[in-house]
Amino acid sequence: MANEILLDVRNLVLHFATTRGPVQAVDGVDFQLDYNKAVVILGESGCGKSSLAKAILRLLPRNVQTYSGEIRLAGKDVMVLGEDEFRQNVRWAAISLVPQAAMNALNPVLRVGEQVAEPAMIHLGMKKEDALQLALKMFQHVGVPADFISRYPFELSGGMRQRVAIAMALVTSPSLIVLDEPTSALDLLTQANIFNVLKRIKKELGTSFILITHDIATSSELADNVAVMYAGQIVETGEASKFFPAPLHPYSQKLMASVPRLRANQDPDFITGQPPSLVNLPGGCRFAERCPLRFEKCTQDPPVIEKEGRKVRCWKYA
Amino acid sequence: MTAGTEPGPDTGKKKLSNGTFARVARYTGVRLLTLFATVVVGVYLTILIANMGGYVDQIMKNDIIENVTQAMANDPAARKMTPEVRKQLIEERIALGEKKLGLDTPVVVRDFRYLSNALRLELGHALLMTSDSGSRQVRLIILERLPATLLLMGTSEISLFFVSVFLALTLSRKYGSIWDKLTIGLSPTSAAPPWFYGIFLILIFAAIFKILPFGGMVDTPPPTNVIDYILSILRHLVLPASSLILSAIFLSIYNWRTFFLIYSSEDYVDMAKAKGLPARDIERRYILRPTLPTIITQFALLLITVWTGATITETVFLWPGLGRTLFRAIGLYDIPVIVGSTIIYAYLLALTVFLLDFVYALVDPRVKVGGNQS
Amino acid sequence: MNTFKKNVREILRYPSAIIGSVVILILIGVAIYAVIAIPYQKAITLWRGGEDVWYRNPKYAAPEWIDWLSTKKQPRSFYINSTTGKMDKVVTPNGDGTTGINITYTFNYTADYFPQEMSLYFTDKFDQKQPFVTIDWLTPDGRKLRIDNFAVDTQQTFRFSQDMNLVNSLGGTNPMEALFTGIDSKNVVKGTYKVVVTGITFEPNSDISAEFVLHGTVFGLAGTDHMRRDLMVALLWGVPIALIFGLAAALGTSVLTMIIAAFGAWYGGWLDELIQRITEVNLVLPFLSILIMIGTFYSRSIWVILGATIALSIFTGAIKGYRAIFLQVRESMYIEAARAYGASDMRIVFQYLIPRMIPLLIPGLVSSVPSFVFLEASLAVLGLGDPVLPTWGKIIDDAWANGALYKGYYYWILEPAVLLMLTGLAFALLGFALDRIFNPRLRGM
Repeated sequence: MANEILLDVRNLVLHFATTRGPVQAVDGVDFQLDYNKAVVILGESGCGKSSLAKAILRLLPRNVQTYSGEIRLAGKDVMVLGEDEFRQNVRWAAISLVPQAAMNALNPVLRVGEQVAEPAMIHLGMKKEDALQLALKMFQHVGVPADFISRYPFELSGGMRQRVAIAMALVTSPSLIVLDEPTSALDLLTQANIFNVLKRIKKELGTSFILITHDIATSSELADNVAVMYAGQIVETGEASKFFPAPLHPYSQKLMASVPRLRANQDPDFITGQPPSLVNLPGGCRFAERCPLRFEKCTQDPPVIEKEGRKVRCWKYA
Repeated sequence: MTAGTEPGPDTGKKKLSNGTFARVARYTGVRLLTLFATVVVGVYLTILIANMGGYVDQIMKNDIIENVTQAMANDPAARKMTPEVRKQLIEERIALGEKKLGLDTPVVVRDFRYLSNALRLELGHALLMTSDSGSRQVRLIILERLPATLLLMGTSEISLFFVSVFLALTLSRKYGSIWDKLTIGLSPTSAAPPWFYGIFLILIFAAIFKILPFGGMVDTPPPTNVIDYILSILRHLVLPASSLILSAIFLSIYNWRTFFLIYSSEDYVDMAKAKGLPARDIERRYILRPTLPTIITQFALLLITVWTGATITETVFLWPGLGRTLFRAIGLYDIPVIVGSTIIYAYLLALTVFLLDFVYALVDPRVKVGGNQS
Repeated sequence: MNTFKKNVREILRYPSAIIGSVVILILIGVAIYAVIAIPYQKAITLWRGGEDVWYRNPKYAAPEWIDWLSTKKQPRSFYINSTTGKMDKVVTPNGDGTTGINITYTFNYTADYFPQEMSLYFTDKFDQKQPFVTIDWLTPDGRKLRIDNFAVDTQQTFRFSQDMNLVNSLGGTNPMEALFTGIDSKNVVKGTYKVVVTGITFEPNSDISAEFVLHGTVFGLAGTDHMRRDLMVALLWGVPIALIFGLAAALGTSVLTMIIAAFGAWYGGWLDELIQRITEVNLVLPFLSILIMIGTFYSRSIWVILGATIALSIFTGAIKGYRAIFLQVRESMYIEAARAYGASDMRIVFQYLIPRMIPLLIPGLVSSVPSFVFLEASLAVLGLGDPVLPTWGKIIDDAWANGALYKGYYYWILEPAVLLMLTGLAFALLGFALDRIFNPRLRGM
């Protein structure tokens, strides 16, 4: 059980420029992910989760202002790779992406089979017929009927399109798949099905996952580790088995308290106020304004404290 | 599940079943009928306007009376006649003149006859105009002038189209660059019509620098040598084509660039980038393929402008094309020529629009011929 | 009001919008000035008044400021009569019933070129016997030349360069050159010249009077055309005409298109179908040809042309765009709410649908003004301009028909062309910036 680190992100920063000022979407993020493990990144809308996914894959918007840090993949820092090298060796070859709303992520004028086969042709150098055969195998993995291979995206339901997107992410057998809100647009039944697919893939193919979501309930099934994101920063990380029963950071606690429980006696809690705008970030602890446990020290940036293998960015544990 | 498609692991073709065929046939029939009705109404309206509901008749009749009485007054033989004989002769000649121009039948009947002839492409004879070869046949008059217009408009519009699309595609990748800003800054220059630029071009290159001709299509007298003849035409083509291109190019590039920008911000383009596809593939399969329907539509519309010509540009450059002929025909009240040009234009337009539907269906898999048109 | 201010602040961020707006404001100012300084009636008189109005102006004269472009001076035009200029009239009765009338016209000539023409316009009074005049020419270097002598009528025009006696006595040379050169016959002699009219009348109540006019080669701020008309009148009046035509056409077309699209989208059914069919028919109709036909057969009045232009421009592809947006808005919540509380169809269309569209309307409206302004000019260039009004297109038409480019009268074409371009560019610049602000699909860019 050698815990080899697959992904080591250090001080990742992604800011982009807008007319209202620079948006500090990802502001110094650190986390690690082992082989064949899944980490779920939790947080509210607008905390920078999607930007984190894009930052890892170097999918930078046109108005990018700052992009820095280290992204070590199997020990090598891929941040320093040139654009072409990154495209050939990292994108999809090593890390793939299942985007939010796969509906729009598929090219409407190309058949889905072709789109799934594309990465295999580019990165694995396969011929078209072989790549399509590989795509068929992927369809099997995710539960898409074989005859769908010559269909166009508009002929598929939402759930099917999401599965196609997962098949597409698998076709090059990458070590890591980033999933950005993979089920937020789907009904509960399909959600459960998709997660079963993901669990099976993790077991059969040994892939690692980064699962970005605000849906705590379903993601808890897949997660080995949890990272909580707030206002562009990671405020807590830890093993899922330890996190869910007892979150450390006040924000994580509030998050978990807001999930309705079936047999609980109390009403779910909610967090007052709004997350800060990523343009005008307050100094000091970014959660202080809404934190019920704040005290004078919180006006300064809290350090990252290690506690029993978990990390938390909060003065309370200093 | 689309009805009528057969499944299979590697099928690229949709086999049509009877259901699809019937649907397409029915749609085609309806479409042809509506387009035909549109052509009929459009041409009829044009004929009505060309006649001003009989108002023009009055003008033409007055013209005839004036011409006949004038000729009578100048005719020495007429002086020898008695007043009654003269009067009768005048009336006979007026009646003949009216008959020649078809003014003896009521306007409504004449309009209808024009319309039905035109629809059958029996363009008849012009009232006053003749072709260079001396024929009165409207068909020949139009055919004689058409190549000049096609040459001018064809070279201008087609080069404009391809240059714009190509440059715009490149420009859409360089958002915010100096070239981008330059294009945006220069696009308002397309507010001015081609003849406007034509005047300036003539001023600079013909009047001041004297290196290009003022107008016309070929030198007079035309060179006998074929190569020199072609070169002469090319020399005369430069200024009018340049004014057509100059007038439209910057706005054209800007519009296509904005269009490509919008399409390249689509999510699936980002996805293609994430998949690590090379830029060339992305451009071809993820930007050009989805935009193909629009590009083709625009090309079809452009073809329509090619055959209508640019009346004023042809006038300013004395280019012997169909636009100028039509203008002359209007000035001479030559209804058959006006009607002839209009019907040809209408048919070409209807044909282009009709074919467009089918081309759409071929290129965009989301569109089915006869399906729901929004 | 707040959105308005916010929008204005957005607009000010674009330098192109600022330039466009400033130029438009200047044009509006000039238009107002033109209409006030030269009221309509006066403008018509100045433009179509006839010889009486224009006779003092030279033909094909370039604008006076052309002198700045060269070191040499061109002669200006001027006239001397009993009310202006140096005209000395001395009436001396002789004993024998005749009266001697001497008129001396004095002027200073400092130009480096020869004038175009000099004329004396006589207005005389007599019963039966015509007075007799002798015209002499005094140069600055002391020479005196006999120009001619003749009996005058009540109204008589004497043109120096067209008088055969004078031409012959000068040995066949152009009097304009000969009269102004010295012994060397090459350079212009500058200085004070006098035209002396020595007249004699034979009846007690007779009188001789004349106006001396010198036609220079330059005139005014804008020059003159082939009919001696001051181009400034047409250039100034062209501003309000272009603005009104352009704005009226753009406004009329946009508003009517929007309203019809709204009705079509709201009521649907046969009305919608009808509008679609009309749009297709309109596509078949040859726009320019029809305008030419209306202009040739019916009326060239600018209002008729304006009306026809709007009528033909409403049912275009733009209507499909508006219709698509209206269809979307129709499904929105607040429209449902309005129907729920029983609002009438008309009310919904005018109170809810249309106000949503107005911001989207504005960029298209502004951007379409230049094409209408140029349309009016295009028709004028084809010879179908309004027969009464002085417009820029009319000037270009006159200039083109008189071969201005062949003959080198570049100012004649350039002045209206530059104004047309300026107006077109101003609205196009502003329209562009507005499009980038109001068009939701372009907002991110």
